[in-house]
Amino acid sequence: MTDLTVRGLIVHDGRGRAVLSGIDLDVPAHSVVAVTGPSGSGKSTVLKAVLDVLPPGLRRTGGEVRWAGAPVAPGRAAVRWRRRCTGLLAQDPVSTLNPLWTVERLLSEVEGGADAARLHALDLDPAEVLQRRPHQLSGGQAQRVALARATAGDPALLLLDEPTSSLDADTTRLVADLVRRRREEGLGATLLISHDHEFVSALADHVVDLGSTGSGFTPPAAPPPEDDVVLHVDALGIAHPVPLLHDATFEVRRGELVVVVGPSGSGKTTLLRALAGLHEQYTGLVEVGGTALAPLPRRSREHLRAVQYLPQDPFAALNPAHRATSAVARAARVLLGLSRDRATSAALELLAAVRLDAATGHRRPRQLSGGQRQRVVLARALVAEPRLLLADEPTSALDDRTAEAVLGVLADHRARGLAVLAATHDPRLVRCADRVLRWRHDALSDETTRHPTRGGTTR
Amino acid sequence: MRSAWPTAAVFAVVLAGGLLAPHDPVAVSGLPFTAPGGDHLLGTDVLGRDVLSRSLTGGAGLVVLAALAGAVTCGIGVACGLVAGWRGGWANRVITAVADVLTAVPVLLVALVIAIAVPGPVAVVAATVAGGAPLTAQIVRDATRSAKSAGWADAARCRGETTAALLVREVLPAMSGLVVAEAGLRFVLGLQLACTLTLLGFGAQPPAADWALMLRENLPGAAANPSAVAAPALLLATLACVVALALRSRRDAEVTA
Repeated sequence: MTDLTVRGLIVHDGRGRAVLSGIDLDVPAHSVVAVTGPSGSGKSTVLKAVLDVLPPGLRRTGGEVRWAGAPVAPGRAAVRWRRRCTGLLAQDPVSTLNPLWTVERLLSEVEGGADAARLHALDLDPAEVLQRRPHQLSGGQAQRVALARATAGDPALLLLDEPTSSLDADTTRLVADLVRRRREEGLGATLLISHDHEFVSALADHVVDLGSTGSGFTPPAAPPPEDDVVLHVDALGIAHPVPLLHDATFEVRRGELVVVVGPSGSGKTTLLRALAGLHEQYTGLVEVGGTALAPLPRRSREHLRAVQYLPQDPFAALNPAHRATSAVARAARVLLGLSRDRATSAALELLAAVRLDAATGHRRPRQLSGGQRQRVVLARALVAEPRLLLADEPTSALDDRTAEAVLGVLADHRARGLAVLAATHDPRLVRCADRVLRWRHDALSDETTRHPTRGGTTR
Repeated sequence: MRSAWPTAAVFAVVLAGGLLAPHDPVAVSGLPFTAPGGDHLLGTDVLGRDVLSRSLTGGAGLVVLAALAGAVTCGIGVACGLVAGWRGGWANRVITAVADVLTAVPVLLVALVIAIAVPGPVAVVAATVAGGAPLTAQIVRDATRSAKSAGWADAARCRGETTAALLVREVLPAMSGLVVAEAGLRFVLGLQLACTLTLLGFGAQPPAADWALMLRENLPGAAANPSAVAAPALLLATLACVVALALRSRRDAEVTA
């Protein structure tokens, strides 16, 4: 039988720390096995170690991978096995497409890739896409081309790395259908890495949990907001680079969590960047704490501290040269005027509050997982004790347990008066919100006021 | 960090090698161009001085001069690159124009012209700056330009950091790998120019012990005592290789960090 057996897989990093210690995994033929776990638990590393494609710095120091009963030795044997028997949909699949190649060439590189029927099944029109290069495709099309490459020729083992976090909804649905069809028609085994409980439980025959993720997501409670207005936005218009927003008026009160929802590309990020002072071309009045908020170069010290921005991509937001603790401590030094020692202890305190220990704080961004980076950026924003937090997708990349921890920290700070304006697609965050602002065309409308159902009663 | 030890050891030997010399490197201790053997492990040179002693002594001055030239060049190049990349506008245009002109002129020609006007060591530093700083400035400028739009630069701006603090505390550390690599390359350029000028008679003067001077003096007797030429040539090549390997291993270490 073509099945995958992994016994006692051990991976060490360059400093001799164990990243994986003794992982066992059985993927019987035609089954679907999912590996889940909180961020930083080594889910992606399992997959890379099995395929023998560990990044530099990580070494497989023990264990055995067997395919169809025969051991797969690392090195050339593993290369042959990967080519012959496996297909991989990587975590950011579009980045694996050579930008200089046409889709036709990308697909013909793998056996059976350019099969027209298969492309139609993936909602790709061969006449339309074959002669294009990746940058001429839409995001969804590019993802489906990557999927077509991964599944061409029905590999005996298909590996999917976090398919739900990087793919759009349509492609995710296609992946789910495809995985089901593989199982029903006995086309091969599937190994799936994901932190998405619903996706995993709908598809997997067997789940391997690398550390308890808790079951499901419980939104943390926060007391109802007060009447103090922290952010007052009046007749805000953003017409640059393209008309995005016209005449938006809203308020955010002390302790309130307001989320902005709307289709991607509607301008949610630009709105937050405008309020953070990073996007200067807007019209209208923005007040924080009763005084007008100036664009960055002229913004007062008090406003710099009071308004903190949490960008969407935490990896880009962290300087690769600075350790997590010093990044957070620097914000405390500059914005609160603390001494070096007191800033460091404040940083360690906040990192502990977002469940990062001192050893993790000593790492640089490259050595942190995606969820850990998100929490470092959050700690850096909160250490300044802001009055308003502008958060761009603060929980989307996080598993349930980490999202809960992040929202718990936000709830603690909201209890002490922090107002949060968040842009998101994440239903878990929307569930916690006091109010939802929906983006329609170029207007924001206040959609719900649901204090009574929030907080303690949803538990 | 383990990879730093061999490099440090080579530099220590080059800099302090004179202490191990069995003979006075400038004193005549035998017949000219004696083949290796006996009292002279590597034979004698054109005036009958001990080749081993001169080889052990002759690197320190070169290395110090090349390091100085490399540091000054890299410092000027990085500073210009940071300003040009961050400020953009006329600062960028002026710095780029000067850099383009300097890049277009052959560095050896610049070195010779300068060497006629000023003493050898000053000429080496000046020529290394003229030849190397424009390249460093262009690379640093491009890296700075992309750092300008990075998320962490936005975060620093949102903290209200001054431009100077932003450049020194954020941008420079983020490109430290690049800067170290540039410093290494400019060191090698300084080494080349120091040797070239000495070979042409502008650098170290007799009776100083200097690898490049040894090559120049001992070439006529290469048939009688090949090691009088081979020893300094090999040492120069080793030094350049060690620097190149150190840069390479540092880059690898960065990838895995």
